[in-house]
Amino acid sequence: MTSSIRIAVIAAACFGLASLTFAEGEHALDLSALPEAGSIAPAEGLAAWDSIHAVLSHPRCLNCHVGDDNVPLWGTVAAPDRIHGMAINAGASRIGAEGLSCNACHQTSTRPNTVPHAPPHTGMDWRLAPVAFQWTDRTSAEICAQLRDPDRNGGRDAAGLIDHILHDAELIGFITWSFDPGAGRDPAPGNMQAHLEDMAIWTAAGMPCPEP
Amino acid sequence: MNLTINGTSHTVNLPDDMPLLWVLRDGLNITGVKYGCGIAQCGACTVHIDGVAVRSCQVALADVWGEITTIEGLGAPDALHAVQTAWIEHQVAQCGYCQSGQIMQAADLLARNPEPTDADVDAAMSGNLCRCGTYPRIRAAVHAAASAMKEA
Repeated sequence: MTSSIRIAVIAAACFGLASLTFAEGEHALDLSALPEAGSIAPAEGLAAWDSIHAVLSHPRCLNCHVGDDNVPLWGTVAAPDRIHGMAINAGASRIGAEGLSCNACHQTSTRPNTVPHAPPHTGMDWRLAPVAFQWTDRTSAEICAQLRDPDRNGGRDAAGLIDHILHDAELIGFITWSFDPGAGRDPAPGNMQAHLEDMAIWTAAGMPCPEP
Repeated sequence: MNLTINGTSHTVNLPDDMPLLWVLRDGLNITGVKYGCGIAQCGACTVHIDGVAVRSCQVALADVWGEITTIEGLGAPDALHAVQTAWIEHQVAQCGYCQSGQIMQAADLLARNPEPTDADVDAAMSGNLCRCGTYPRIRAAVHAAASAMKEA
């Protein structure tokens, strides 16, 4: 390693340690260039929100962010409204505890999803997102308002939203899986690193939302 | 890798990513569990892990997280599980291929919900297919088992 590269790496590492309090755990994400709060103009924040919304509104994510009918979707880009086969209903528990548990088929495993048409798995227990996190039938402005409201986002502030992504990356959870769902499934647009950076930019800009 | 199956400890030397269904049938000759589709679309391979019904075709050997119960261990010939007794009383099986999976799923349902409605039965059993169409008898037998378990 040349001395100039070494200095750059050390500088990046120091910047990362200085500006982030949530960079704990093991994951493959680069935190060195995330912006600090207040350093981003609202217009740039709104552009980042548009990228975040493109992810959240993709069928890969909508399929489990459904409403209080508790019916998961098997949506694809071509047919986003297709409901889960086998008349599956996850119940008010959102994990199928009332009758047929999600994990009867969806295992908790970090192994790659390699078998077409088999139920996918992640490193987190399979479940629907809480009803409060419904993204189906919601506009970009509505989802944005929801995501920045601690009463409707799991009690998360800006750092909490970033930590949510990092925690998912540690476990190879649902967000991580959505960008690499395997076995012929449509992936959410972009990748985990870009999603993290968009979230950091949006939160650093004060979480601006589009007009309703 | 050590597995506890139907109360007995087994040591298996098989690939980590081998599905549990293959381990049971081909590795240990426990053949009450059936292969139907291999992608959790049919339910024929349903077993219990720590009492919870799972499709054994979807569980990699190294991911097994608890004690396994197959149809052979749900009840004994002289002490059948209430679901097995009800299955015989209602002559549920036709060809029989899917039935061990059906029974394991029904036992899981009754552990969760001791008094299921028809809709509850249909919802919980919706992932277990029967090409002979024994669904009305399955539903009747589940209700009978529920009554028997309530009286016991």
